[in-house]
Amino acid sequence: MRPFEYFRPSSLKEASELLVRYGDGGHLLNGGTDLIVRMRDGLTLPSAVIDLKGIEQLSRIREDEESVYIGATVNLNQVGRHETIGKSFPYLAEAALSVGSKQVRNRATCIGNLCNASPLADTATPLMALDAVLEVFGPEGEREIPIRDFFVFVRKTSLKPGEIVKGVRVTKTAGQGVFTKLARRKEVDLSMVCMTLLKAEDGWRLSYGAVAPTPVRLPKTEALLNQGAALEEVLSCAVSEVKPIDDVRASREYRLEMVKVMLKRGLEQIEKGGAVS
Amino acid sequence: MKFVGKSIKRVDGVKKVTGSLKYVDDMKMPRMLYVAVKRSPHPHAKILSIDPSEALRLKGVKDVITGEFYTKRGGLYLEDKNFLAVGKARYRGEAVAAVAAESEDIAQAAVELIKVEYEVLPAVTNAVEAMAPNAPLVHPDLGDYKVAPVFFPEPGTNISNHYKLRKGDVEKGFAEADFVFENKFYVPHVQHVPIETHTAVAQMDADGYLTVWASCQSPYAVRQALSAAFDIPLNKLRVMSPAVGGGFGSKAGTTLEGIIIPLAMRSNGRPVKLTYSREDEFENAYVRQGLHATIKTGVRKDGKIVAVQNEFIWDGGAYTEYGVNIVKAAGYASAGPYDIDNVHTDSYCVYTNHPVGGPYRGFGMSEIHFGIEQNLDIVAEQIGISPVEIRRINGLKPGGRTGTGELVEVCGLMECLDNVIRDIELDKEEPASGPNKRRGKAIACGWKAPSMPNNAASSAVIKLNEDGTAHLLVSAQDIGQGSDTVMTQIAAEVLSISPEKITVRTGDTDHTPYEWQTVASRITYSAGRAVYEAAQDAKAQLFELAQIKLGVYKRDLEMRDGFIVSQIYPDRKVAISELALGLTFEDGSGVHGPIIGRGSFIPPNIRNADKKTGLGDHPVAFWTYGAQGVDLEVDVETGHIKVLKVASCFDVGQVVNPQMLEGQLEGAILQGMGTALFEELMLKDGKILNKSFVDYKIPTSDDMPELVVSFVENPEESGPYGARGVAEPAMVPTAPAIANAVYKAVGIRLSTMPLTPEKVLAAMKAKGQTK
Repeated sequence: MRPFEYFRPSSLKEASELLVRYGDGGHLLNGGTDLIVRMRDGLTLPSAVIDLKGIEQLSRIREDEESVYIGATVNLNQVGRHETIGKSFPYLAEAALSVGSKQVRNRATCIGNLCNASPLADTATPLMALDAVLEVFGPEGEREIPIRDFFVFVRKTSLKPGEIVKGVRVTKTAGQGVFTKLARRKEVDLSMVCMTLLKAEDGWRLSYGAVAPTPVRLPKTEALLNQGAALEEVLSCAVSEVKPIDDVRASREYRLEMVKVMLKRGLEQIEKGGAVS
Repeated sequence: MKFVGKSIKRVDGVKKVTGSLKYVDDMKMPRMLYVAVKRSPHPHAKILSIDPSEALRLKGVKDVITGEFYTKRGGLYLEDKNFLAVGKARYRGEAVAAVAAESEDIAQAAVELIKVEYEVLPAVTNAVEAMAPNAPLVHPDLGDYKVAPVFFPEPGTNISNHYKLRKGDVEKGFAEADFVFENKFYVPHVQHVPIETHTAVAQMDADGYLTVWASCQSPYAVRQALSAAFDIPLNKLRVMSPAVGGGFGSKAGTTLEGIIIPLAMRSNGRPVKLTYSREDEFENAYVRQGLHATIKTGVRKDGKIVAVQNEFIWDGGAYTEYGVNIVKAAGYASAGPYDIDNVHTDSYCVYTNHPVGGPYRGFGMSEIHFGIEQNLDIVAEQIGISPVEIRRINGLKPGGRTGTGELVEVCGLMECLDNVIRDIELDKEEPASGPNKRRGKAIACGWKAPSMPNNAASSAVIKLNEDGTAHLLVSAQDIGQGSDTVMTQIAAEVLSISPEKITVRTGDTDHTPYEWQTVASRITYSAGRAVYEAAQDAKAQLFELAQIKLGVYKRDLEMRDGFIVSQIYPDRKVAISELALGLTFEDGSGVHGPIIGRGSFIPPNIRNADKKTGLGDHPVAFWTYGAQGVDLEVDVETGHIKVLKVASCFDVGQVVNPQMLEGQLEGAILQGMGTALFEELMLKDGKILNKSFVDYKIPTSDDMPELVVSFVENPEESGPYGARGVAEPAMVPTAPAIANAVYKAVGIRLSTMPLTPEKVLAAMKAKGQTK
């Protein structure tokens, strides 16, 4: 591992300034479950590691009548076990608890899972379905990024230099949702495909992970669902809206097939009144 | 019996669960140097030059070595390897140079500064292709290599061992058969993934005395191999294995020890350490060899198999010093636990530019049984009998003959089969858990013999202390299987003292007595028998003294709860503690001195098989037979397999510790499940695509099915209290039983492991089985 400077700022301003100062060499440390592994493998060689865990305000889950807000340093077990999240967004809780192992989830954060911008980020699909909003602090002040605009490509987000995601906000949405993850093994595995299907008051919402360079929403399929189109049509449309690749975990063909199976099963589950919010 | 057959708590349990046991990687010594290894990026390449000058200039770097420092070849059965590549690299990841430095980080940085020039050679990455006449040769000098006389390399080819078994007349058998079937199977490379990776420390004193601390299964075999490789006499070479965090075969031979020893020789007495990363473990320790198997079966209408012809082509990787023996073991076991008059087997060990194949739990048996046991189900169905019937008709029974023509005297295979049929409720059809699920139950059998030299020896020493306690010294290594506890129980039983009064010490070639290797499921049997003999020897010495002391003839004495007691006059007794240092008379004088029991053992009368035919009347110490049944469910839309229940039964001769044995069997089933469902080294042009736990999956506790483990006890005459080995056989039937159950569930037959959801689904689609 190459030597690097370690900082533990106590404010966002300080953290952002450090990021600007170190440019491409500056990396934010949250749970470290991605960064440390990449550093060990020599894939990321930071000149400065800026630890966000010293910033008190980022460590909380807050809620009001309309929304829930997950701070940047809240870990995945905290998200998965949070009472309101469990009640209002059970599929988000399930997604959070499907990442890694319990030990990993004690370190890994939801925001880290998003900022890592992996195509198969498990917490991204429920948040995409919920039209979550990322609250961002930066040198130019604060701004909000709708999650749909956040992911740009594999490991690329729309964050500008010096910007730090403070947290993610989701509006309480009445409806029924399902998160499913298909992996080789039941526990501690990456998704071959993951999906969130949400039947909200204003219509269907559908998102997938591991089938495109970023987690994706499937607007055409959602429209067909809203129109009450036939299942076969819906499933073919879903397949047409994703572009999976072959890798060591699964082939493109298998992923496409699973996109259909998971959607079909999700619809059945919602019909049966499975996971409710 | 008081202690044998009882679930005594593990003697190493507290240290392991509290984390206080010190493993080799925990060792920190003053002035220690750390090693990093420069590895070949090519699967096959001539090394043109190595320039370490820039690495040597880095502050903190003490030394850089290459294969040129020690060019002598070594190896267990076939001397085909160097610890550091000499002349060319034969697999991707092979060590070409090593750095010793003040810290691991410096050593790693220095490795990057070593410049190596290669001339890339054509690589051969498929064992079948490697057998073609025009294939690139991995070892052009094979004809010059030293080899043990029971192996048969074919110089000028990539075949490092061609084992032949010729029993009866297979052509005549096929002519007599009503049906002849041929099936092909493929088993990919897998890795052992012990929780503790390979690690070693070496230090050489000023007078040339070398000490090696290694996480290894076989300190004596390692000592012998290193002595031969580096020309160090055995009295100047000490190998210690203080603790082993899992081996499964991967720590049976020598791997990284040979990389650090040359550095230790040149470091002026400083200890030198190397610990493998998980990635190293996948690429640079041992892997299980791949297997291409073809099985041709001739069978009569009544279900009797009259002829079997096997071709096993093993992907041995770049070096097969150990692998040649796996190929031999697979050859002589190739008929499976079945009584077949005509058997013709060719088992080939083939060099490829793949990671080095080596011993892995089962030693070839899991691989061949994946084919043998699926083949039996296929044949049974074709001729219209059940999988159980074909096994009952052909399965070995006392009085039968094995594939090598050996008369079977003790064999509980049919009892094992009955038990698993009962425990899995094979004939009871049970509903699947949902509309997209299909359920299936099936069975598979298996057998294994210890694959070891005929004269593989064990020894034990037991020293009695003056308070009636004892020290038991063996070099059988507790690699998690529980041998420390089993050895203690056997000694306790003979001496009739409680196990808490015995301290077992292992793994130090200077201070614990000879043990060939902790492999081959032979420790309870062979080391256990040596412990039995040592305790009997101590007992005999105690009886000599007690008969003087008590005035009772020794034939009338027995050991009872720490005393030597007259069987006729129970009040005449003397405590072990009173005799431990010898017998003292009333005038204060003494005789005999301290009691030290000595036990040595070689399995009796194992003889080489005939070189031409492979036939032999007693080529192995014993066979362990068993069967397993699997109940599972297949998701017909995703192809996922969920194993619901596994029943297992083996004939172990005598259970020494029921709780530990159950644990060992459960672990074996999980390991078998791992290979059946998940595990595969994904190799592409010699490169491993999944050399970490991110993409190489093994089962977790959540994958654990319901397990029903039972045992049959037909005693093994030469084993201690009748015990025989079961550690490896225990996982052999699991994978084929799963494959057979998948067939029962959804009617598809997968000829390759692992049975991934994707393969299952594709096969179902091909058969038109999906909705």
